[in-house]
Order: sequence, then structure tokens, then C-alpha cells
Amino acid sequence: MSDQTHMPAGHDLAPGDEEQHSVGTRILGYVVGLVLALLLTATSFFIAGTDLVWQPSIPVALIVLAIAQMGVHLVFFLHITTGPDNTNNVLALAFGLLVVFLVVGGTVWIMAHLNANMPAMDQIMTMRR
Amino acid sequence: MLGKLDWSAIPFDQPIPLIAGAVVLVGILAVLAWVVVKGHLPYLWHEWITSVDHKRIGVMYILLASVMLLRGGSDAIMMRIQQAVAYQSQGYLPPEHYNQIFSAHGTIMIFFVAMPFVIGLMNLIVPLQLGVRDVAFPTLNSVGFWLTATGALLVNLSLVIGEFARTGWLAFPPLSELSYSPGVGVDYYAWSLQISGVGTLVAGINLVTTVLKLRTKGMNYLRMPMFCWTTLASNLLIVAAFPILTATLAMLLLDRYLGFHFFTNEAGGNVMMFMNLIWAWGHPEVYILVLPAFGIFSEVVSTFSGKALFGYRSMVLATMAICVISFMVWLHHFFTMGAGPDVNAIFGIASMIIAIPTGVKIYNWLFTMYGGRIRFETPMLWSIGFMVTFIIGGLTGVLVAVPPADFILHNSMFLVAHFHNVIIGGVLFGAFAGFEYWFPKAFGFRLDERWGKLAFWFTFLGFYVTFIPLYVAGMLGMTRRMQHYDVAAWRPWMLVAAAGMAVLTIGVICQIVQLVVSIRNREALRDRTGDPWDGRSLEWATSSPPPVFNFAFNPDVRGEDAYWDMKARAQQQSLEHGGPEYQDIEMPRNSPTGFVCAFFATIMGFALIWHIWWMVILGGIGAFATFVVFAWRDHDEYVIPAEEVAAIDRVNLEERRSLVSMAGTV
Repeated sequence: MSDQTHMPAGHDLAPGDEEQHSVGTRILGYVVGLVLALLLTATSFFIAGTDLVWQPSIPVALIVLAIAQMGVHLVFFLHITTGPDNTNNVLALAFGLLVVFLVVGGTVWIMAHLNANMPAMDQIMTMRR
Repeated sequence: MLGKLDWSAIPFDQPIPLIAGAVVLVGILAVLAWVVVKGHLPYLWHEWITSVDHKRIGVMYILLASVMLLRGGSDAIMMRIQQAVAYQSQGYLPPEHYNQIFSAHGTIMIFFVAMPFVIGLMNLIVPLQLGVRDVAFPTLNSVGFWLTATGALLVNLSLVIGEFARTGWLAFPPLSELSYSPGVGVDYYAWSLQISGVGTLVAGINLVTTVLKLRTKGMNYLRMPMFCWTTLASNLLIVAAFPILTATLAMLLLDRYLGFHFFTNEAGGNVMMFMNLIWAWGHPEVYILVLPAFGIFSEVVSTFSGKALFGYRSMVLATMAICVISFMVWLHHFFTMGAGPDVNAIFGIASMIIAIPTGVKIYNWLFTMYGGRIRFETPMLWSIGFMVTFIIGGLTGVLVAVPPADFILHNSMFLVAHFHNVIIGGVLFGAFAGFEYWFPKAFGFRLDERWGKLAFWFTFLGFYVTFIPLYVAGMLGMTRRMQHYDVAAWRPWMLVAAAGMAVLTIGVICQIVQLVVSIRNREALRDRTGDPWDGRSLEWATSSPPPVFNFAFNPDVRGEDAYWDMKARAQQQSLEHGGPEYQDIEMPRNSPTGFVCAFFATIMGFALIWHIWWMVILGGIGAFATFVVFAWRDHDEYVIPAEEVAAIDRVNLEERRSLVSMAGTV
């Protein structure tokens, strides 16, 4: 944020505001994004049903494809770039990811430990006498 | 035809809600009649209801919050009286009614008092402090306000049509599930929060965008007033946390309406998941409320000490640290749910860590005051009262953040005392400080000092007399939400607390009297320069009340404490520029979109609560049509000609010139 010091306020662009590109370039960008997204989706469905990938690793493969899908969406449709005019968007994305990680990760962790104070079944049996 | 709605929905057998409802209805009708007869309706419609001016919307938010404060306060008075008399007896409130009252009290105070109050202040002040003409999305702002009002309306409607939830302010399942709460109470709760939640989210997006994108020339991040920083942090939290609330309540509603089993006892539902999710929203929520209050105190303390804020950068850092850490502590609301020592310890430690940036802030305020020329005017009294009260509340908070202690104090009156200590001492005192501080800016005249000070002292003392006994009762083992009790040791404390409530009520009455007296004496209290407190930030650089365009020229900011800087150098931009350079200003046109949208949302919410499906569809279509009409509008701006800008600005300029020349001699 401190690198904004010498930049006039309100300089950076909102998502979708990139007016320096011509219409043709922008359409090309969306088409490439669409093709990539479709390709990744098709691949996910395809590998799930075949033994092209080592069977036990299919969940991992699907997760990798899903993350790639997110990347495609971010770059081609939401126009997240690493350019200096995009600091806000990148920071917002980072904050969003952090919050999702904390909430989802925290929830999984908490819910997995809810029985920690419960004695094991055989102990309950001996308690009963 | 009318779903579950019939005459039995109106509680003819319960005099209290019926009489209260009738009084409110008569009041509303009387005001409406007065407005119509006096011919104020066009004014109200054109200048307020359809207004997209951030200042007007801010004022309406605060008005909504004030009215709801009286409603929530009445609930509080009834509860305190009930607990004072219900020793070895049933008291005067039957259990099902008492349960509705404490649920409504919590829901109203958080969602319809604290939230609209802080959002209103942010709306009113942040664009002015940033030196801009409006928020990023003016019409969306109006939609957000009116949807919040819809939520408040639905909650209050439950007083006379049907019932409110008896489940506590967070509607924990399985009690809130259909099998244990078959009535419409929980539906009233959930739909009003869903609708107002949309409004809050919209306001959050709007304010984040405003702070990030709309700052005047030279107003870079590290020159923003502290209130803008806390607004940014608070609204980032709104954007991140409110979807969790919406999703959680949506799941509860699916359980209730479509037979899902997210949180039911049977068929694989998990009630613990609800606690987990609701508090994953609920803890950031308390920081959503208190961070703007911290911002207000920063502004007030620095202005009334006549000094720049001590440790500005550490304050920014502390604010952003709280913003992130607030998402790491939510389990401390349910230490006793069964998570093991590992989980409890980590969340307990995180809860203690979040006290550190808060402590940094307290020290910064103290050092700001140190060596300053302090003026003990009403906003400053609220701020000092806050510091004392909030430290006590914070310390009891750190105490209950220790899991073993929490196992003893969980759900006791000690906890009730703790969170009232931080919410009243933090948020409400902050809201009042901001109200007193910025009232002259919003309306052009100061509030009466004498009544303001009386209001402060009665509220301050009343707070202690009410809530310190609750700490004691909690230590003696009293749990929260008791309709009656048989323990003799608790009785005296409940009586003292009820007496404290009376003192608090006097405080509220003083506040109302203050408003009335100030309005009557407004000519004597008039603020002509726009800078009644010798302020430091840009909101004081324009007239009071500010013109619709806020600033005739976009201010040029050259450092922290922008307006102080300008005054010190006596070269405020509007002073440098004389007349000829005034330019036309484009402002957004007013739009009834917000009001119409909320009208249909109200119909839809009401129909959903009572299962009137045709009306749900009607409301939905109406709201969508409103959106379409707005989206296809042709004219969204109007132009204020340069001559008009000049005419408006010159009046204030004369007053300000004399002020600046006086300040130059000091």
C-alpha cells in the first residue's frame, strides 16, 4: 500500500475498466478464457471416468484442475493481473483467500475435534460397572 | 390464500405487545397525518426518501438507529424489571413472552441499532473526510439503507402480527428448528436478517470502494483520517463476514421450509456446525461495530486535545491487525462445546492476542491527551468514559478468553455483563461521541452542552450501577436469560441493576431533551464557519451543513490532519481561489429505486414468513422490475451551474476567512 504514496488517488482501475485495449483484443481474451475453462472442465469429467490417471490420485488431479480453473477465471474473466494498477484487486483477493482459508480450515479443524472430551467407548463401559 | 396468516396471529390475549403496538401505530399515523396536512410530503419524498446524498442517507440511518434504540431499550427495561420482581414468583412476563423479549432485544440492538448507527456515521462523514462529493455508488447506498429499514420494520411487525423468535438473538438450533419452534417467530428473525443483511453487505461494498477509489488529490492512504481507516477495516470485515451469516441463515431456512437437515437433531444434521458458522460471522461482527467507534474516538480525542493523533501509523497497523485477527478467534464463543484442549488453547491465545492492538490504541489515545490542551466538551466526555469503561470490559474479556475460566462463566450473567460492558462502553459511547461531535456538521448547529453533559453522566453512572451487579450475580452462579429464580443471594443484585436501569433511562431522556432544547435554541447554537470544534480533518473544511456537492473545489491534501494544515498555513484552497474559477458540478440524480425496492422486499419478506406464495412471487417480480427500470435509466446525473456553486460557497467563505485570519494570529 505504501507504494501508492506518489500516485494520485483514484488512479488505479476498477475490474473491467481497462480501456486501453481494443475490442478485438478483449474478445480474444474472453474466447481464450472460455476455451481454457471448457477444456479444464472437460478434462475433469474425462479423467474421472478413465484409468488414464492412477486411480487413487484422481481426487488430487481433480483438485489441481479445479485450482487451475480458478486461475483461468481470475485472469481472463476477473482481470486480476500483477500490474501496478491492480494492487487493490490483488490485495482484495489475498484478503479473501486468507478469510476463506481461516474459516474453512478453522471449521474443519474445530469440527474434527469436537469429541475430544468424550471418553472412548471402552472407558464408558468400565465406568458403568 | 393467506398462507398461515389468520386472526389468531394477532395476540389479543396479550395486553403488553398489543398496547405497545397500538401506541406505536397511533404515533406513526399521527406523524404521517401531520406530514400530509402540513404539506411536507413532497419535501420528504424529494429531499429525503429518494435522496442518494450520502449525508441524507447517513442521517436516516442514524434516525433509524435512534428509534430502534428506544425499542430495544424498552425491551431492556422490561427484562430488568422482570428479573427484579421474579424472585420466587413468575414475575409479570410469562416465559414465552420473556423469551421473545430477550431475543428481540439482542437482535434489535445489534442489527438495527449498533449497525445502522455506525454505518450512518460512516456514510455521513467518510466522503467528507476523504474530500469527495459522494460515495462510490450513491443509489446502491439508498438501496442499502432502505433494505435495513425493511428488516427493522419486519422485526417490529412481529410485535402485533404473530410472534418473534424465542431462541435468543442468534437462534441456535435445534431450538430454532421447526420441531421445537413451529411458529413464525424464527422466520421473522431469519428473513428480517436476510433482507437487512443484503443492505449491510451493499453498504460495506460501497464504503470499501469509496475509501479505496475515491480520495481527493493528495489524500493517499497514510494521510487518511483514522476514522477512514477504521471504516475501511470495518467494511472489509462486513464484506468478508456477512456472507457467512447469510449462508448460515439460508441453511437454517432450508431446514425450516424445505425439510433439509443441516442443523436438525435427526437425519445427520449437526447443530454444532451452526454454532461454528454463526460465530465465524459473529466475532468479526463485534469488530465491525467497534472499529468505527475506535475511529470516532481517535478523531474526538485528537481534536479536543488540540494535538495530532499520537502514533498514527501504529494506530493504522493496530486497526488492520484487528481486522485480520478478528477472523481467528470465533471459537471462544463456544469453548464448552467440546473441542479439545488443543483447539481451545489456540483460540484462547488468539483471543488474548487481539487485546494487544486494542491496548496499543488505548495508549495512543492516552498519549494524544498527554500534554494536550484538553477541552472537556460532550464528545470528549463520552470518549474518556469509553476509555475507562472499555478497559474494564476488555479485561473481563481477557478473563473469559481463558478456557478454564470460561467453563465456569459460560452463559452466566458475568458474560452478559462483559459483552454489555464492551458494546455499550465501546460502540454505544462511540456512537454518542460521534453523534455529538458531528451533529453540527450534519445540521448546522451545535447540541446543547448542559443537557449533553447530563446525558453523559447519567448514562455513564447508570451503566455501572446496572452492569457491575450483573458481574457479581454471574460470579454467584446466575445464568443468563432466566425468567424467574429462587436464589436469595441474587435478588439484591437484580434490584440494584433495576435501579441502574432507571438511571440509564434518565440518561436517555436527557439525550432526547438535549435534542429538543438544541432544536429550539438552534439560532443561538448556529455554526456559521463549518468548523465549530477547531477540527483537523476535511469534513470541517466545508460549511455546516455541507452543500449537496460537499466541496466547491476538491481539496488539495498535503499531509496528515489536512484541514489543520490548511488553517495553519491559511491557504485553504477555497481561500486561494476567488470567484472566477468556479465550475459546473455534476451530481447523481435522486432515485426512488431504494425505497421501491425495499417496499417490494418488505412484501416478499412478509409473504415468506407467512407462506403466502403468490405474494412472494409478486414481491420478487416487483423488486426485479425496479432493478431493471433503474438499470435502463437515461439520465443519472444533473448539473449544478457554476454560478449556483459560487453563490452557495461564498457565504461560507466569508465566515471562514475571518476564522482563518483569527487563527493566523494565534
